[in-house]
Amino acid sequence: MRKLAWMFILLLPVTCFAQGSIGSLTGDESVFYAQTKQVNQFFLRFNGEEDVKGKRYNPGDAGYRDVKLRKKYLNILFDNSNPALTADAKFVFIDEALNKKVPALLDFYSKGWFAEVTSSFMYKKEKVNIILYLKIEKQLKGYKWVISNVWFDTFNSWFTHLNDTTNLKYFIHPMSHELDFMNLHKAFKEPENLDYYFEREYQPDMTGLFVMEMKTGNLSFVSVNNIKFHVFQVPNWYFEISYFNRNDANSGWLISNMLRVNDKEKKELLRHYTHIN
Amino acid sequence: MRKQFALMIMVSLFAMAGRVTAQDNLSPQRKQAIDSLALEKVRDLSKYISIIGDKTTPWSDAQRVIERATELFMENTEIGVSSLGKQDVNYYKVREYFDRLMQLNYDKVTIDWYKIQYVSDLVRQPDGTYVGVITVYQRFQGFSKEKGLVYEDTTKKDITVYVKRKETQIGGRLINFWDVMLGDIRVKETSK
Repeated sequence: MRKLAWMFILLLPVTCFAQGSIGSLTGDESVFYAQTKQVNQFFLRFNGEEDVKGKRYNPGDAGYRDVKLRKKYLNILFDNSNPALTADAKFVFIDEALNKKVPALLDFYSKGWFAEVTSSFMYKKEKVNIILYLKIEKQLKGYKWVISNVWFDTFNSWFTHLNDTTNLKYFIHPMSHELDFMNLHKAFKEPENLDYYFEREYQPDMTGLFVMEMKTGNLSFVSVNNIKFHVFQVPNWYFEISYFNRNDANSGWLISNMLRVNDKEKKELLRHYTHIN
Repeated sequence: MRKQFALMIMVSLFAMAGRVTAQDNLSPQRKQAIDSLALEKVRDLSKYISIIGDKTTPWSDAQRVIERATELFMENTEIGVSSLGKQDVNYYKVREYFDRLMQLNYDKVTIDWYKIQYVSDLVRQPDGTYVGVITVYQRFQGFSKEKGLVYEDTTKKDITVYVKRKETQIGGRLINFWDVMLGDIRVKETSK
């Protein structure tokens, strides 16, 4: 009895305010309700884990991952202004996502999705765009976003001669060792041709270059400009989520692109998007 | 009996200050209770913003409200603001953001909040703190004496919420509770 009284008192303000809302503006909010306001909400709608007002369904609740609810939600998760997202493709995607035996569900904590963050930086007094790739990583009992790769055109332009097997001019001849590699002196005289001298398998480490340029002060962050999420968690499908800031119900975080792909093609796509060979 | 009553009042006040008893894992019921507390903080923030932006609020009162509003936030909190047609996001310290809001060059300002709110899941960070995001929508109107309404926008505000387990002693008893603090805010102008 005493325990019950304690619990009642501790939760008193909670029960008082649970039904409240932030504001009192009584304008048309239908767009805001329909809008997929957070990526978190995209995941919950995709999985059928919240009601139309955004109230969370938990395992055991009527409606939790309900197929009819999911079908309704999945239909509103596409960018309707994109003609490439055809009705046929959407139909097949939804049908496969709702597979009765193995329904496709999204998992925030699992692999198979990552963020592509286009940001502006100042690089040697010039404003430039750099793409940062981030993924969710577990640490102890919690999670965090970590930078998994970086793409900057300037870094890439330093390595245009890699794997060039037609070059017959820039190489260190095979008897250089007998001369204590004294000809390295000549090779390094033209930094623009430096990348001719690397082994065939060499892969530039863009993240390492990014760290170096940041730490030496050549590069400084300005702002995040655009974000996309690439999702590979649905069997046979890849899709991209982007934010659509417009004044209609089909707004917020929506599927902006999708492709039907097999596992091999998924790997190719992943390589393409992350620039990792 | 009197002692017990006093203890109950103290704990009740603790709860009203935005805290609930702690558990290691967040059950759906616990999460719902924490959501309500977090929403209460956001509600306080929305009231403070309306007062700070109100041109009829005396300077000294606005300063006091800025102090209260700043106390809702974790240290080093920033507010990232973007508008339509501008690619970059401007980042402001909380205090700077409130000062700018107070000094806006309009004769009259009205700040209203839509009823809708959206609360994300709470995700655990490596340090054990839970983090979530509450989305709210605000309408801003700036008026001049001569021209009437000269500026209007609706912004989406995504507000970070940190939920941390803490301990305190009340009347010799060790009480665990969840403390709710606000963090970075992303302010995005919505399409007109």
